[in-house]
Amino acid sequence: MVVYSFYIFDRHTECIYSKTWLPTTATAHDPQATGASHQLRASTADDAKLIFGTVFSLRNMVRKLGGDDDAFVSYRTAHYKLHFYETASSLRLVMLTDTATLSMRNVLHQIYINLWVEYVVKNPLSPVEHKAGAGVKNELFELGLDQFVRGLM
Amino acid sequence: MVRPDRQLQPHSSLQSNIIGNVNHATVISTVFALIIINKAGGLIYNRTFHEGGLNKISTNDYLVLAGTFHGVHAITARLNPLKPITNPNRTSTTSTFPSSTPNPNTGTPNPSATPNSSVPSVPSTSGGSYLTRPDPPAGLEVLETENFRMQCFTTLTGTKFLLFTDTTQANVDLTMRRVYDMYADYVMKNPFYQLEMPVRCDMFERKLGSYIREINNR
Repeated sequence: MVVYSFYIFDRHTECIYSKTWLPTTATAHDPQATGASHQLRASTADDAKLIFGTVFSLRNMVRKLGGDDDAFVSYRTAHYKLHFYETASSLRLVMLTDTATLSMRNVLHQIYINLWVEYVVKNPLSPVEHKAGAGVKNELFELGLDQFVRGLM
Repeated sequence: MVRPDRQLQPHSSLQSNIIGNVNHATVISTVFALIIINKAGGLIYNRTFHEGGLNKISTNDYLVLAGTFHGVHAITARLNPLKPITNPNRTSTTSTFPSSTPNPNTGTPNPSATPNSSVPSVPSTSGGSYLTRPDPPAGLEVLETENFRMQCFTTLTGTKFLLFTDTTQANVDLTMRRVYDMYADYVMKNPFYQLEMPVRCDMFERKLGSYIREINNR
């Protein structure tokens, strides 16, 4: 299985963390490396917004059809699969993987419990509201997430 | 096409045990509802086959849902994380990619480094990509939730078939295929049916009803 990217959205619908593991983006088009990475950054910002909109709409749609206790788990297209996990505090974790991957719900749950709660919530220096991602991008969280996801692949 | 679930069940001892004990086959394949959305995002058909699977919502809510889904479907097609790698050509036609980048299809750089002096007879979709078939619709195909599963089939003309089933439902592809066949046979071949308008065809209703009833009672 391959993990493409990972996003965290807070309860104010803001994207407070995003990370991609796309293997070839770093080496693609060496002459335009700076331009490409610039473009990549712009597209990830846009992608985060699009992903949030998609996930939010689908979640509402699912709740309307399946009842208030129903939860949107994942969707799959021909090219990728998106996994979604929402905590009780409306923190939303989204992961994009390849299509063959099975449910990643427990993985997202593990990320929440073992990384988010441990390294972000329990960090005394981290703010309560992560405005523009403040307090999320600490070393332990980044490292732990990277190791955890690379361990899955 | 044979039904793989019927073929596979005897091989898996665990599953055959379960099915042997209780008549789980009926639970395994429950089709809750069908929705058809036209290419403009309008709801043209909805029908519930199984009470209790999905919440009852008003027709107006169904219309809103169809429109919302249409939009979301378009976005999911664009969210493909692999797009810079799989088809750089297609994105480069509209993006700000400099024209001096090597053409990924032919492997040769564009002849001129100056962007505007390139030969106008060469279309921006260079490399013969205009000869290839268009990509099949790439939006959302399967949506999974805790309580149900939704399969979406997009025809080449953009009509969407949404089939809501049980979470464990296998072989939805086959069911979808049959539903699409029926749509083609009893809706599209109905001379009184107006394109893109709500489907009101008795024959379609009857055939679809009996087919789904057969699945749900299996």
